Amino acid sequence: MSKNNNAPYWQVLPSAIALAGIMVFIFATFGPPASSSGFVTTMKGFFLQVAPEYAEGKAHYRMMPGPGSWLMAFVLGMAICGFIAGRTFRQKIEDMPKIWEQHYGASRAKRYATTFLGGFLILFGARLAGGCTLGLFLSGATQLSLSGLYFGAVIFITAMLTARWVYSPRRVHHD
Amino acid sequence: MTDIWLGLFAGTAFGFVIQRIGATNPHKMALAHLMREPYIPQFMLLVVIFSALGLFALEASGGGTTRVLPTSLVATGLGGVIFGIGWGCSGYCPGTCWAAVGEGRMDAVFTLLGGLAGTVVFAHLHESLIPMLYTPTSLGQLTLVDWFGHPGAALGFLIILFGVGVLLVGRFWSVQNG
Repeated sequence: MSKNNNAPYWQVLPSAIALAGIMVFIFATFGPPASSSGFVTTMKGFFLQVAPEYAEGKAHYRMMPGPGSWLMAFVLGMAICGFIAGRTFRQKIEDMPKIWEQHYGASRAKRYATTFLGGFLILFGARLAGGCTLGLFLSGATQLSLSGLYFGAVIFITAMLTARWVYSPRRVHHD
Repeated sequence: MTDIWLGLFAGTAFGFVIQRIGATNPHKMALAHLMREPYIPQFMLLVVIFSALGLFALEASGGGTTRVLPTSLVATGLGGVIFGIGWGCSGYCPGTCWAAVGEGRMDAVFTLLGGLAGTVVFAHLHESLIPMLYTPTSLGQLTLVDWFGHPGAALGFLIILFGVGVLLVGRFWSVQNG
């Protein structure tokens, strides 16, 4: 495994051990890590400011802590670190993936509208299932839970089929 | 307050590793979904193997907090389908999009905004959707230990299952450069 096939990114095996170490640290100091919950704490904080009665009347906000919590700090830490990691990385950060441009051209509006819809779906689906790639699949499978294994299988299969449709060869963009 | 520092530290470390493996790059994620990039799926499967081993050791020494989410046949499955469509379209998941926003990817900013909108709509409908879709087909907090009867056997099964997954991805995923 001396050759890094994933360059300029890190090698798979050491990175997986590093992330597993962080996962175990989180289990030891907090509990199962989760990131879609960070969206709920954000919106709970918003509604507590603008419409406190609404936030307190809704079960989905009541079951989650507010912004002053581990869950919120975790996603903010991810964003802060994304900035540091992006700035110290040798590959240029792009607003639009190359594969998207090859299929749909350079229109930013089309890409941003699609990712807005994609974001809507991942959070709606995650909140219905009770967690996301991290909170339900990685955390769940680590705890040997069937919900995590079931959710993981469904999201991989559906995302693979969706990507085949979105990036089908007949959609390749011609100027 | 300690919780906030712990969360910030954990998020920072987590974000750094997922950025460096390429999981915050939607081009790479799309190739992974198209079976042209084996590293991200192999990485995820290996993370589960090593985390499960680590958590097993942690629990054996009396530490760790766990919380198993219930398996709801309809809600977990349907939520997964909706999630998978969004993941395939955008190339981001709820965690990676925060780190990608930090990197300065504009399409991740729109994913995050869409995610906040999806959260608001779901939270608004929680009272009608959960009793309709989640509760009736919930099987409870099942784990592999319930099936195997022994934690060690269940862990062994998980490692074999995910290890086979790593090998299958290596066998059937091609490598596309760039």
